[in-house]
Amino acid sequence: MGHTYQAVQWNPQKKRYDQLVVGGVLLYLAVFMAVSAAVFPEATLETLLIRGLGTAALVLLHIILSIGPLARRDPRWLPLLYNRRHLGVTMATVAFLHGAFSTLQFHAFGDVNPIVSLFTSNTRVDSIAQFPFQPLGACALVIVVLMAATSHDFWLRNLSAPVWKALHMLVYVAYALILLHVALGSLQTESGTVTPAALGLGAVWLGALHLRAARAEGARDREEEVREAAAAEGWMDACGVDEIPEGRAKVVVAAGDRVAIFRSEGHLSALSSVCQHQNGPLGEGRVVDGLVVCPWHGFQYRPRCGTSPEPFDERVPTFRVRVEDGRVLLDPRPLPLGTETDPVPVSSAGSSPA
Amino acid sequence: MSEQPQTDAEPLYIGWQGETAPGLARFVRERVIAVLLVALGLAAGIAATQAPFGASRFEFGVERSFEGQIELSPYPMLIVDRPGAENTGGAPTSRWLLTVFGKRGADSAVVHLAGHRVRLTGTLIDRDGVTMVELLPESLVDLGAAAVAGAAPAASTPATLQGEIVDSKCYLGVMKPGNLKVHRACATRCISGGVPPVLMVRRADGTARYVLLVDADGAAVNDRILHMVAEPVEITGALSRLGDLEVLRADPASYRRLGSWSPSPEAP
Repeated sequence: MGHTYQAVQWNPQKKRYDQLVVGGVLLYLAVFMAVSAAVFPEATLETLLIRGLGTAALVLLHIILSIGPLARRDPRWLPLLYNRRHLGVTMATVAFLHGAFSTLQFHAFGDVNPIVSLFTSNTRVDSIAQFPFQPLGACALVIVVLMAATSHDFWLRNLSAPVWKALHMLVYVAYALILLHVALGSLQTESGTVTPAALGLGAVWLGALHLRAARAEGARDREEEVREAAAAEGWMDACGVDEIPEGRAKVVVAAGDRVAIFRSEGHLSALSSVCQHQNGPLGEGRVVDGLVVCPWHGFQYRPRCGTSPEPFDERVPTFRVRVEDGRVLLDPRPLPLGTETDPVPVSSAGSSPA
Repeated sequence: MSEQPQTDAEPLYIGWQGETAPGLARFVRERVIAVLLVALGLAAGIAATQAPFGASRFEFGVERSFEGQIELSPYPMLIVDRPGAENTGGAPTSRWLLTVFGKRGADSAVVHLAGHRVRLTGTLIDRDGVTMVELLPESLVDLGAAAVAGAAPAASTPATLQGEIVDSKCYLGVMKPGNLKVHRACATRCISGGVPPVLMVRRADGTARYVLLVDADGAAVNDRILHMVAEPVEITGALSRLGDLEVLRADPASYRRLGSWSPSPEAP
């Protein structure tokens, strides 16, 4: 949203969020170390530190991957999504410490460069039981650190949204690599049931959450595609006027894109439902002080032209709408960025295009 | 496309605004506390159910002074006197394996002192009665050639042993765990760096037996067994005693991997 970049645009919410995240991680490590030391007084500090950091990073990753689909199901989770970037950076930092301590412990002070040793000390790629698990973790670490390093809006703007989004979808590759890292590593030598059970339940939980969210999205999209297909060339029947509450939007699929038809002060305006910031669901936002606000990070757009208020310069396409016999009709062809449209009064009974 | 089930009573959360609506804040607070409790429960559960850690000792940060005779073959050792041991039926000397800081053997530090009595400073590592010293090379003091030469290996007997090749430094105490797959990379580095390789054989009663590995000619085998470290193997060779240590002579090419994985966790 900013036309200039700061490392962090601090506000009270972000400060509370970060205090909670850092405090939570420290508390997790304290509990892990204290219980370990109490149950296993002969354990060594470095081993406990490696294990504590590794499991903390994995717990954080599960939380991060849960927030998105939870917020899709219930927008009251959105406050946790708002500052998810800091959660990701924290997870990457904890994972990096786990990797750094492990590399120091297992590969440093030897006759080979530690990084070379990391990838060459176990060559049993011919065996699942003996498969080298540490390079899997190292590859996952590269991904999460790369994601953390490019998480700032500066990189979103400079890498372009599609590249940035593709890069950050690699988090699922990282998650798969981490599952293998643990399954082919510590799970093969640990006899406890808590870790494998937690790992399995975590995978089932994330899989079910994402599947459910994807099914819900798919069903809604299919419903709209039927409506879209029924529309003749040009204007399509989007919805009834009464389906759009004041200050809210109705989202429809038009020509393959999601379009949000907002109602503000008794007038309708249509603009792309995809926020230019991080592809957030603009149509699930509200009109606040005459501006459409994205529910993810609070980016704002003018309903009539799809541009952000100065000094910001985000823009989303607008669309033409009209009202006939209590129905909202939409022209699915996007207008050029920045095109002004006249909001259409909901009481309009004529057929004049907006 | 229908919207998420919001009502007008649910205000839109806008992160850059100062405050969150009370109802929304309560919802988030309750979930955050629940997530935190689950996470802390996991921390405690995972910590409490780890596999037992070995009862080994590495006196990290404690430096002691030792005196004895240096023996180089098959691996650097310090032969230390055990005054009074003969009165109790024990051997008059013990052989303590030597290493230096990091994943390194002590060869270069003591190669010029073969057969000499020395005084040195180092840190003790021990497990199940087998001792190693991580020596400080700069602390070595040459006390002159020893009056009595080190003992020659005793007569050998054919033997086939099953166990896991570990690096003596980590398994005897520097790392916990110091064996199995999670430690393979480290064991590979240590053995590659000159730390004496040992076949750890688990007896039926769970106690461990440590056998130094050498080739058929009695020479070090480090660089020839790196691919066999930290997994179950079977070695057939000639077993003999070297003082209070056991030595197995066998051609590394004859080592045989055991097909099935049968983890032998740390003995308590």
